[in-house]
Amino acid sequence: MSTTSLSPGSLVELRDAVRDTPGPVVATGAGTAADWGGAVAADATAVSVAGLSGVIAHNPGDMTVSVGAGTPLSDLQATLAESGQRVAFDAARVRRGATVGGLFATADAGPLALGFGSLRDLVIGVTVVLADGTVARSGGHVIKNVAGYDLAKLLHGAYGTFGIVAEVVLRLHPVSAATRTVALPVADLAALPAAGRAVTDTPVEAGALEVVDGRLLALLEGTEAGVDGRATRLVELLGGAAEVLSPADADAAWDAHRATVDRRPDDAAVLRVGVAPTRLGDLLTGLVDLGGSHVTAAPATGVATLSVPADPGVVETVHARVAALGGTSTLRAHPAGADVPAWGPTPTSAVVLRSVAAAFDPDQRLGRGRLAPWLPVPTGASA
Amino acid sequence: MTSMSTTTTAASGTATALAREFAAVLPETCVITDEVGLRSYECDGLTGFRQVPAVVVLPRDTEEVAACVRICARHRVPFVARGAGTGLSGGALPVVDGVVISLQKLRRILEIDVENRRAVLEPGVFNLDISRAAGPHGLYYAPDPSSQQVCTIGGNVAENSGGAHCLKYGFTTNHVLEMEVVLADGSVVTLGGPTAEQAGPDLRGVFLGSEGTLGICTKVTVRLLRKPEAVRTVLADFPSVEAAGETVGAIVDAAIVPAAVEMMDSLAMEAAEAAVGAGYTVESPSALIIELDGPAEECDEQFAEITRICEEHGSTRIHVADSADERARVWKGRKAAFAAVGRISPDYIVQDGVVPRTRLAEVLAQIATMGSEVGLRVANVFHAGDGNLHPLVLYSESAGEHDKAEDLSSRIAELCVELGGSLSGEHGIGADKACSMGRMFTDDDLAVMQRVRTGFDAAGLCNPGKIFPTPRLCGERPGPFRPHPLEEAGVISRL
Ligand SMILES: Cc1cc2nc3c(=O)[nH]c(=O)nc-3n(C[C@H](O)[C@H](O)[C@H](O)COP(=O)(O)OP(=O)(O)OC[C@H]3O[C@@H](n4cnc5c(N)ncnc54)[C@H](O)[C@@H]3O)c2cc1C
Repeated sequence: MSTTSLSPGSLVELRDAVRDTPGPVVATGAGTAADWGGAVAADATAVSVAGLSGVIAHNPGDMTVSVGAGTPLSDLQATLAESGQRVAFDAARVRRGATVGGLFATADAGPLALGFGSLRDLVIGVTVVLADGTVARSGGHVIKNVAGYDLAKLLHGAYGTFGIVAEVVLRLHPVSAATRTVALPVADLAALPAAGRAVTDTPVEAGALEVVDGRLLALLEGTEAGVDGRATRLVELLGGAAEVLSPADADAAWDAHRATVDRRPDDAAVLRVGVAPTRLGDLLTGLVDLGGSHVTAAPATGVATLSVPADPGVVETVHARVAALGGTSTLRAHPAGADVPAWGPTPTSAVVLRSVAAAFDPDQRLGRGRLAPWLPVPTGASA
Repeated sequence: MTSMSTTTTAASGTATALAREFAAVLPETCVITDEVGLRSYECDGLTGFRQVPAVVVLPRDTEEVAACVRICARHRVPFVARGAGTGLSGGALPVVDGVVISLQKLRRILEIDVENRRAVLEPGVFNLDISRAAGPHGLYYAPDPSSQQVCTIGGNVAENSGGAHCLKYGFTTNHVLEMEVVLADGSVVTLGGPTAEQAGPDLRGVFLGSEGTLGICTKVTVRLLRKPEAVRTVLADFPSVEAAGETVGAIVDAAIVPAAVEMMDSLAMEAAEAAVGAGYTVESPSALIIELDGPAEECDEQFAEITRICEEHGSTRIHVADSADERARVWKGRKAAFAAVGRISPDYIVQDGVVPRTRLAEVLAQIATMGSEVGLRVANVFHAGDGNLHPLVLYSESAGEHDKAEDLSSRIAELCVELGGSLSGEHGIGADKACSMGRMFTDDDLAVMQRVRTGFDAAGLCNPGKIFPTPRLCGERPGPFRPHPLEEAGVISRL
């Protein structure tokens, strides 16, 4: 990334900055995932969206909020909490100040994805600036809306390619009155799918289900009496060593989960993988044999995060094994300078990715390199 | 309007040449060229728009779909995918001299994967059949359009269809994980993956709700949910539409997310009651059907709270449907309300606008005023929880009221946009509301959406003339609404 950087303070300034800056441009938020995905072109000008921050409109009765893309999600959650509302989204790096736009562009998600989906499910409208300075909106302020294409989906996970997200409209959920966490020891990773099903086969409806540090954590959200009854029932149904954690122990367990997902090791690469839930146990067992460690896994959704040696061959193998199961894998934090592949084998959908990119940003100025080699850097362009 | 009873000689020449090529890749019975056969594909559920296609093909698998699309691409002939044809916005309306590619022969449930809670389906599978197949395993497919007995999952994908229970569980887009898609050049790609975890942009999500304009879906993987432990349903009458609207707000404020909240006004209840006798209070100005589901302890607790909220807001009767039969009866009336409106009016137009939920009372009052200004009645039966209206504009074609009704209907949709909402909550834009898109989006917004289309289908062969306003389309005037034949038969209902 070049040393030049711009900090527009409004949508108009952002548009001008994008349109008038020659050459490649990379949008930045809080920088919490700057090294995720493919490396950005070395001479890209950083355009920070941090100046587009804060609530634009919060409609508590409609349970929607629009915000500048540079708004740190933790700040937004604090504001919404005053109305008993939240964005039902809890990616680990929120604790490091990640912005709504950055979380969205990287398709990040946390344990609550089990019950609420990811930002692709929670974002109901976007305003985007394209490479040529076009400003476009899609979606709106209502939860139910099928008018026109859903451009937000194209930008979710696009890592700043296609366009720079300037504003986002989110659907909100109530903060739950009470929570409980039930913990169950899990012997080994191979036992993970079965442990997950032991919970999902009961009627208690876990809002999040994650394995970390040899334990399965089931988060129950609801009313005080409701979660109390459900937690007791779940412990009975699971039998054995299942227990309801004290509030302090529950907080500590979820903090440890976040810390593991959000590791930034200087000697390892962090990878995020997703496969059909039944394949997760065997996949992870094999990856641990390959040197994988610090595993967190969601047995009901099939998503896991782990660290592996920051070696190109090892990372390549992880991508290949996941792809062989039809799954997806993404490179996250890794040591600066480690030349490890960001993405797995090129999917069939890359033809669409490339032709849509050609229609949006023919010179590939925005986020150049981030989706390479799926979206190859144009020949002759700087990489 | 585009209704045509004859095809020109030049067009029939093309049709014959095309048909010959299709016959080389499909069995003869899967290529329809006769007038009578073609005519049954001339419209979808929006029966005022009609166009006889040049050829209809009925491929039986992905390879045959791709082969048909390649023939269209080679000849630069536009094509339209078609599921069951229950769409209400003219999405499956054929294109002049174009081909209709029906997915009705791709109707296998390929897999019910109980452990992973997934179903893998061909696009022609009926929505309700997914839950029927998953039911014995304690699972179901959540999105439940009222047409679910007869609409296809492929059509649901294209329209991003919703249903009464989408308030809590989300729409089609929230439940589709992976799709196989035949692109406009005949190539086959996979969008999405086996989990919601994404690597790269959500092209799956872009395709969902694109109304058949970005390709043809030939295989879908959807999530299945465990059936909730408990379900509680209440029917509550209110002295005014405003009181019912405020009750919905109060439920939201109480941090309760019901599975469904549906509202009916007296006109709609009168019609429904006449049709099925669901036990509604016809004299009541409005009523809500509220359903809660989930773990038993929570359901009971919140149900008590909801009953209290209804009482606080002056509910004049609270009827708890306490058996499965009674619940079915309450819902049957609700689902029949739409078709039943035919009993109190010779013709009607259905609207699908959305407003922010807090503006429900306001929009309903304005709609009533607009109706009385032009001397037309408007019945309301809709998804109150998410602000998705379905005003039914009642009119008489024979009394020459059609234009007035059509105009009122468009103005209602545009009013929804003015109040911060949307032209459509679930029925789609299609050919019907394309001309109103300019009310909701700027030229730049629409041009950027066009870039997506160009990226998927540079030649513009895939369902052209839908979603985006075109001078040709917007110069035309639709004919009167006629109920879908299955609706008249009472098999399906609209809301
Ligand atoms: C009585 C009644 C009640 C209804 N209730 C509801 C409701 O509650 N909620 C709701 O959301 N909708 C409702 N609808 C509308 C309609 O049923 C839905 O839009 C449904 O999803 C259409 O499915 P279909 O198979 O009939 O699709 P069609 O009408 O055949 O096609 C709809 C669109 O999808 C495209 N398409 C179809 N198959 C494919 C495919 N495989 N790949 C790509 N594109 C494809 C077509 O080109 C067209 O644009 C109702 C309709 C009726 C008649």
